[in-house]
Amino acid sequence: MIKITDLEKFYRTEEVETIALNKLTMEVRKGEFVAIMGPSGCGKSTLLNILGMLDDPDAGSYVFNDIEVAHFNERKRADLRKHNIGFVFQSFNLIDELTVFENVELPLIYTGVAAADRVKRVEPVLDKMQIMHRRNHYPQQLSGGQQQRVAIARAVVNNPKLILADEPTGNLDSSNGNDVMELLTDLNEQGTTIIMVTHSEHDARYSHRIIRLLDGHTVMENIMI
Amino acid sequence: MMFKNYIKTAWRSLKKNKAFTAINVLGLALGLTACLLIVLYVVDELSFDRYNTKADRIYRVNEDLKLGNNTVNYAVAMPPLAQTLKTDFPDVEDAVRLKRTASHVKKGTENILEYNIAFADPSVFNVFTLPMINGNPATALAEPNSVVITETTAKKYFNSINVVGKTLLMDQANCKVTGVIRDMPKTSHFNFDFLISMSSWPDSKSDKWLRSDYNTYILFRKGADPKKLEARFPQFLRKYSGSEMQTDLNLSVDEFEKGGSYFRMNLTPLTDIHLHANRTGELGSNSTMEYIYIFSAIALFILFIACVNFMNLSTARSSNRAREVGVRKVLGSSRGSLIVQFLTESMLVTLGATLIALAAATLLLPAFNQLAGKEILINSHTYVWLLPVSLIIVLVIGFLAGSYPAFFLSAFQPVDVLKGKLAGGFKGGWLRSFLVVFQFAISIFLIIGTLVIYNQLNYIQNKNLGYDRKQVLIVKKAFELGKSAAAFKQQVKQLPGVADATLSGFLPTEQARSTSIFNKDAGMLDQKNAIFPQTWAVDPDYIKTLGMKMTAGRNFSAQMSTDSSAVVINETAAKFLGFDNPVDKLLYQALDGKHTKVKVYHIIGVVKDFHFNSLRENISPVILRLGEDTGDLSIRVSTSNLPALIAQIKQKWSGLSTSHFEYSFMDQDFDATYRSEQRIGKIFIVFTTLAILIACLGLFGLAAYAAEQRTKEIGIRKVLGANVTVIVSLLSKDFIKLILIAIAISSPLAWYLMHKWLQDFAYRVNIHWYTVAVAGMAAMLIAFITISFQSIKAALANPVKSLKSE
Ligand SMILES: Nc1ncnc2c1ncn2[C@@H]1O[C@H](COP(=O)(O)OP(=O)(O)OP(=O)(O)O)[C@@H](O)[C@H]1O
Ligand SMILES: [Mg+2]
Repeated sequence: MIKITDLEKFYRTEEVETIALNKLTMEVRKGEFVAIMGPSGCGKSTLLNILGMLDDPDAGSYVFNDIEVAHFNERKRADLRKHNIGFVFQSFNLIDELTVFENVELPLIYTGVAAADRVKRVEPVLDKMQIMHRRNHYPQQLSGGQQQRVAIARAVVNNPKLILADEPTGNLDSSNGNDVMELLTDLNEQGTTIIMVTHSEHDARYSHRIIRLLDGHTVMENIMI
Repeated sequence: MMFKNYIKTAWRSLKKNKAFTAINVLGLALGLTACLLIVLYVVDELSFDRYNTKADRIYRVNEDLKLGNNTVNYAVAMPPLAQTLKTDFPDVEDAVRLKRTASHVKKGTENILEYNIAFADPSVFNVFTLPMINGNPATALAEPNSVVITETTAKKYFNSINVVGKTLLMDQANCKVTGVIRDMPKTSHFNFDFLISMSSWPDSKSDKWLRSDYNTYILFRKGADPKKLEARFPQFLRKYSGSEMQTDLNLSVDEFEKGGSYFRMNLTPLTDIHLHANRTGELGSNSTMEYIYIFSAIALFILFIACVNFMNLSTARSSNRAREVGVRKVLGSSRGSLIVQFLTESMLVTLGATLIALAAATLLLPAFNQLAGKEILINSHTYVWLLPVSLIIVLVIGFLAGSYPAFFLSAFQPVDVLKGKLAGGFKGGWLRSFLVVFQFAISIFLIIGTLVIYNQLNYIQNKNLGYDRKQVLIVKKAFELGKSAAAFKQQVKQLPGVADATLSGFLPTEQARSTSIFNKDAGMLDQKNAIFPQTWAVDPDYIKTLGMKMTAGRNFSAQMSTDSSAVVINETAAKFLGFDNPVDKLLYQALDGKHTKVKVYHIIGVVKDFHFNSLRENISPVILRLGEDTGDLSIRVSTSNLPALIAQIKQKWSGLSTSHFEYSFMDQDFDATYRSEQRIGKIFIVFTTLAILIACLGLFGLAAYAAEQRTKEIGIRKVLGANVTVIVSLLSKDFIKLILIAIAISSPLAWYLMHKWLQDFAYRVNIHWYTVAVAGMAAMLIAFITISFQSIKAALANPVKSLKSE
């Protein structure tokens, strides 16, 4: 599903040039659950942003579903992204001014789903995440675990083929964290490909395979199963 | 020590948010500058004639006359009035008459036509405060052919101010300079360079009571009640004008009044003349209180808009500062000291803005004077009130603008702040929304006002006036040529490039006017049917030269000897007379009170109505008769080489007269009539633009904050697939909604008020719905451009960065 070859990403500031990704090559197959681990600052988030087409690489190739997207412009990337990829962040990134329902509904609006259909699609997802009773609450009125479930609901409502999660349990206690991991595992079992960045060996054990990034280049793989 | 600390912290905080501080200081400074200039203007207008130390005791005596269908309100009164009032009423301490005139004054070999000349009674220096530098004010104007001149005039003619005893040749008469006074202040409703003794003017001794010629001012004794004097006027007039009315009009006062006519007198306080009086025979062109109100309102509006910006930006920023407040509170800061902290900040901004505004107003004053036609000076007298006022402004505006954020922010509970409960602070600002609506309502109101004023001025400029003012050259004071005036006209008509020429001082764009009574039958004065028209002596070329149109009958003809008793009337006169078919009807003019001698006029034609008054007034009846008035020679030219033609005409003039050759163009004379309106229009446009600019500055700041506040939200939305259009409309939507509300509020109001303003003009434009629409669209467009600048910037930002900054 995903194949990157010799991917490079630099950050230039006034004084220094940081090489965040250095000729990175890896592959993720359809239906896989992959965990990415590595020390802080080794380029995990950078990689995830590129995989999510939020950012573009400076060099190298990125093939998504047999399409080369490395040179895509912003509009094309956005189009591909909104139909295929869901995001879950460490800090949830819910919109404070919108209710739970409205937050989850948002991706459907941007993919042009009619209002009546949106209700039909949002409600089962909220149900599944067990936050249906909170549908009219605002994010600040929820606990961290609940907020992350809303975020996951939002990530899956569009039935994406790929979910990218950047430290999804980073802001949660262990019991809430486990709930989130169970949810991701369920989704994976239903066929969604998942790539997750984590610092927790415990969470990484939910995945099929761990990709260890050392300095933006070196990759070590542990097959879990 | 504590206070110093507040200032230091405030200064740092302002420095940290440079863009915020810049927008605040700039917007406020801009608003204050505009406000200050308007205040200077208004103060100047209100100070007219107050330079007179006895201003509160000086009143002008006016005359109101109604005869048949005509009403005239005069600023001038009867020749014997001043003296009689002084003799009859002990309350009247002194009285003075002024009579405007123009004259040629000889300087070396040159004859200069001077317009700012008045005949004045000797008491003028007792009533008005006109300090004399040289000469004795008590006796200066006692003798005939004495003249008192101003400093500038003395320098102009003699290069010195020690000129008492010297002579000036004025219209062929030798006048002795008996005094030099300081130049009359610009803030005087009259402005003369020469005052000639009234006794030099023989008519001043006239004892006629049915005339209005002299601007008459009385000085009351201290403590006297003008109302009491006014109450005695009817009795007074009856006593003095009764017998004359009987002999001249063959009517008793009772009969006269029974016929619906009246003849009255009243008083105008000296200090009211400039802003409240607009009568026939004013000594200068006065302004009106209306403009004072309009400008004061604009000043307040601008100040308000600027303050609102300040408040809005401060509260918008509040959520950014919430964390600071929370931390400070956790560390033990009291609410009170936080309030002081925020107020200090806002006073500092206001102080900066006020200083900039004071400097800017001083720098811009010359340009503003030019625009407003004023000579306002900022001097030590101005600072006497300006500095305290500025200080009050700093305190009041600083407090007002700073209080909302101060009290609002300081009330934050540290727990809520640190929990991030107030992160959404931007949207909750209903007060801010309300203020933005108000700001834009004012701006849209001003746009509509400007458009209507502009349309009306344009209308006046382009209106068909019933005559053609383009390409008409007027040679002034042709009467200087005496009997050769007709010869001059013939010579000019021969010149190539001259289409036509007419001799008459009665021109639509000139001051010369003359009225007399006409009756429809030969019998007694019939007040119901008599008309009191403008009666102008013209020559057969008049109508043609001025491009007027005949609507019935014929023009005068030099060949028809009977035309000496022929008249051409205007359409309004025909209407007043009630003639459906006026041609060949007769009109009668009594040559004495008993109507024993009557002159019969024969109407030969009707000329299409033409405008000769301000367009604020309706056209009144005009009767043109053949006569020999040599006031001006109007020349219709048909050449592109005007300078050459003028040189030729001047040459002809010099062949016939030694007097100074003066000319003007009719279209320029016309424009001069509307100069004050043009000025007002321009000032209005300038300040409206400023108001809108300031409002936009605020909106710009608000949009920036809105975008900044929502950076994270925009980032998330972009991650979820929103494109740039979606983001821009998301950010603009809220503002556009507010502006729509503003349009809905302000357009009916503006329509109503501007409609009322237009009622002052007898000839006016309509306010079309599209005027309002254009104003609304313009406001919307300006606001949208302002906002989009920020929205697009936000929409194009990389979402990865926005989310990371969390
Ligand atoms: N916008 C940026 N400008 C400059 N340097 C950046 C930027 N974003 C990331 N970097 C640098 O790129 C490198 C990789 O950053 P990245 O965020 O991918 O690390 P990470 O592996 O996700 O770390 P963490 O585990 O702490 O989240 C780091 O050295 C970081 O300092
Ligand atoms: Mg990271």
